[in-house]
Amino acid sequence: MSTRPWHWPRSLGSRLLLILLAGMIVAHLMSFAVLFSERYMSARQVMLGTLETDVATSVAILDRVPAAERPQWLPRVNRGNYQYILGPGLPGVPEMTQRGRDIAERIMEASGGRFPVTVESIPGDGKRVQAHLTLSDGSPLTIDVHPRMTPIAQWLPYVLVLQLLLLIVCCWFAVRLAIRPLVALADAADALNPNAKSQPLDETGPTELARAARAFNAMSDRIAHFVAERVQILAAISHDLQTPITRMKLRAEMAEDSEEKRKMVSDLTEIQTLVKEGLAYARTTSGEGEKASRVDLGSLIESLVYDYQDTGKAVSIVENAGGPLMTRPNALRRMLTNLIDNAIKYGGGAAELSVRRDRNAVVIDVMDRGAGIPEDKLEAVLQPFVRLEESRNRETGGTGLGLAIAHQLALTVGGSLTLRNRDGGGLVAEIRIG
Amino acid sequence: METHVDHVLIVDDDREIRELVSAYLTKNGLRVTMAPDGRHMRQFLEANTVDLIVLDIMMPGDDGLVLCRELRAGKHKATPILMLTARDDETDRIIGLEMGADDYLAKPFAARELLARIKAVLRRTRMLPPNLQITEAGQILAFGDWQLDTTARHLIDREGTIAALSGAEYRLLRVFVDHPQRVLNRDQLLNLTQGREADIFERSVDLLVSRLRQRLNDDAREPAYIKTVRNEGYVFAMPVEIKEARL
Repeated sequence: MSTRPWHWPRSLGSRLLLILLAGMIVAHLMSFAVLFSERYMSARQVMLGTLETDVATSVAILDRVPAAERPQWLPRVNRGNYQYILGPGLPGVPEMTQRGRDIAERIMEASGGRFPVTVESIPGDGKRVQAHLTLSDGSPLTIDVHPRMTPIAQWLPYVLVLQLLLLIVCCWFAVRLAIRPLVALADAADALNPNAKSQPLDETGPTELARAARAFNAMSDRIAHFVAERVQILAAISHDLQTPITRMKLRAEMAEDSEEKRKMVSDLTEIQTLVKEGLAYARTTSGEGEKASRVDLGSLIESLVYDYQDTGKAVSIVENAGGPLMTRPNALRRMLTNLIDNAIKYGGGAAELSVRRDRNAVVIDVMDRGAGIPEDKLEAVLQPFVRLEESRNRETGGTGLGLAIAHQLALTVGGSLTLRNRDGGGLVAEIRIG
Repeated sequence: METHVDHVLIVDDDREIRELVSAYLTKNGLRVTMAPDGRHMRQFLEANTVDLIVLDIMMPGDDGLVLCRELRAGKHKATPILMLTARDDETDRIIGLEMGADDYLAKPFAARELLARIKAVLRRTRMLPPNLQITEAGQILAFGDWQLDTTARHLIDREGTIAALSGAEYRLLRVFVDHPQRVLNRDQLLNLTQGREADIFERSVDLLVSRLRQRLNDDAREPAYIKTVRNEGYVFAMPVEIKEARL
């Protein structure tokens, strides 16, 4: 299909416009052509008819009047399509077309066979035909025929153009009417966010569109319901798990110190983290969100870093171009915490933070000097439960939710999270807001 | 030598958790009484007093929040309360603190962590001169150009911009703001601001004070908020006004 030299336009709008316009213009031209040929046929019929009756009379008159008076009569017998010439006329070639034969036949018929007629077409002068005959006194007479239509009105082409313009405008309006709701639907689908109660689509308008809008709204309600249900299930499971986990932890602590006890406590901690993170992930995707407020970014970054430093973690600030920012402070804090924890856990034990302004956006980088992530895994690790083999096998293997939560939160604050490998080794997690 | 043994009341509907916690705390030198629900708690507190109440938030019947509010309104309003929340969740924490709990601990917790928290709360409430102690959380403390939101634990400036505080900064500021115009020495400040985590690496009080001054835009040479008292410690010089939080 791609080898076609001509490409079908990409958008539905242009396609519809093209089909409608092409169809209507062809139909229009066809009716114009039919009209035109009909008119032509009838005009021809009239012309030939007059030729028959008129020429008979004229030839008879010219035959009767004395040769000297004939020139005076010429203006009276001459018509728009044909003139009489007293003389042998121009030399020509024998007319062989149907038309010529038609004309010759009619002139011969009209003269009642009294005058022998030869019809010749005059080369190089369109459809000009001359009929030569000899009057009864022996003098030659030529009928000079210019078969032509009465010219069509001058304004007709303008009307045609006007009609075509009208067609184009109408088609464009119709297509726009049909396409606009589609665009609105696509926009709504793009903006669909089960986290936030979004504006439902307008359910008024033509019946098909109203139906589509209703169906879309119902679908988005269903999605919101599914998401809410998923969160509820996760919340219920994690809540109900908390009591048995608490009991087991307490029981383990009461036990004598042993390798068994240590292993059990570490397993329990793992389960507990998984439950907690799973719930946190479900919550972030469902967007149980806090309100956005104006936050002094510099102090937020500093306080976070101090909290890490106060517990003996190697977290430092490289650059802090803070300033006020409209955002959800807890979401941002959580995001950064997850990224810093990751840097400490997998990135060689230390994290560096940098905050800079890039035009209107705020860019926060969390950097480490660890092993980085293979290029082809950089995007995949943002998905829930996707872990790198190394971290899976390690004692420190996480839940695989930390980055997914950070990624989700970045989306809910209208930002983005991207990972890239750092020059000179290590990983850079970049949060871009605004 | 002091013979006082701290008496803790544990209110939790789960028998096994109650007993395990009780066993652990007893083993670590506390006196423990258990109550499975609000009814038993009230019955016991009719005739007895305790040093601290551990209250589970999720209980059938009257839940922890209801009981907490009730305790704060009655004759035991000075008894510290440690809330056990169902999950590590901002809303639960905020609600718990607003209801007047002194601290909270998310389930599942380790018994050793609970013990550390209990001791920290007891120490804190004993250190503080009772007449100045602010037990009702969820209030806004206004001073100078700033407001301190005690539930969200951040500062708000005159334009409404939030300035975040680290954990240690908040605890120190809170001690200052709870004791305005009172000279506090470094030992007091260190004790009161000690974090929850047992392995916390404490910054020196002086460093924390200088960070706080920076956060408050306080001039270190001519401080208006936290003044240095030579050879004694620090004093919070700005008058503090307590406001109800606007919700």
